[in-house]
Amino acid sequence: MRYLDGEMNAAEASAFERHCEECTACGEQLKQFADLNAMTRRIAMKDPTDEFWERYWKSIYRRIERRAAWVLIIAGAAMLVAFALHEAIQSLRVVTFEKIAVLLVAIGGVLLLVSLARERINQRRVDPYRDVKR
Amino acid sequence: METPCTGDGITRETLLAWKKGGARALERIVRATMKRSYAIALGLLGNEQDAKDVSQEAYIAAHAARRSFDVERPFYPWFYRILRNRCLNLLERRSRHPEVSLDAICERSTAEDSPERSHARWETAAMVWKAIFSLSPEHREIIVLRSFQELSYREIARVLEISEGTVMSRLFYARRALREVLAGAGGVPGEQGNGES
Repeated sequence: MRYLDGEMNAAEASAFERHCEECTACGEQLKQFADLNAMTRRIAMKDPTDEFWERYWKSIYRRIERRAAWVLIIAGAAMLVAFALHEAIQSLRVVTFEKIAVLLVAIGGVLLLVSLARERINQRRVDPYRDVKR
Repeated sequence: METPCTGDGITRETLLAWKKGGARALERIVRATMKRSYAIALGLLGNEQDAKDVSQEAYIAAHAARRSFDVERPFYPWFYRILRNRCLNLLERRSRHPEVSLDAICERSTAEDSPERSHARWETAAMVWKAIFSLSPEHREIIVLRSFQELSYREIARVLEISEGTVMSRLFYARRALREVLAGAGGVPGEQGNGES
């Protein structure tokens, strides 16, 4: 392999060539692998267009930006709900429209989280690739 | 700055700026390495759409994990592991059978080739490309890094975190497996080998 891949120095390469001239088995094997290498080298991967690469980078940037935006929105919403719940507990006797709205959002959020968690757990139980490193 | 083994020319300053969240630095890193990353993903996954999606996801994951990156070390081997794991994950989900597209490749024919000869060469190239995707991901990976990315043994060893001796033996077994597949398909003359060249 080292000879075919140009990983031998000149002295090693010429010694190997001499050996292959004398040893039929090694010479034959060298020829077979050289043929295979030549066949592999004939394949070239197509290089996508400049537009493709421009879109490629922009798509990465957009996805990172949107992910950051979602994290901020979710964190902010969670803080608002937590604050509202805290305020609601402080004044339990007074039921206002805002409190009902926040309570509905909180209950909906909790339901959604429980549902997602249950789905993840069930998926994990039956996933044959759960041990594959992410 | 130590130049990464893959020769991407990403400076230490760029990596430091990226670690702090700099968008410009991220752009420089992505632009310097995206062609290589896409080609490696294409070599492992076999089609353009998966290669694009998975390599982009790898950059997003790398950006999210940038604080764990050591700027004293080259970027690409670190990133390569993220890319590789994502490619292998996708292959696992598809039971290791990639959807191979011939649109992703072309054949290096010469101007003097007749249409018939050119067609025959294309058919051989297509057969070899398909045969590569019948190999195990480990064998496919080393063939992609050596034959398509043209990395030296030292560079492959560094990227895969294995010894140069292991690179050599893995290449040997990968090529032997490829030759057996091609021989089975009538593509390569000769018998099966048992030793290393």
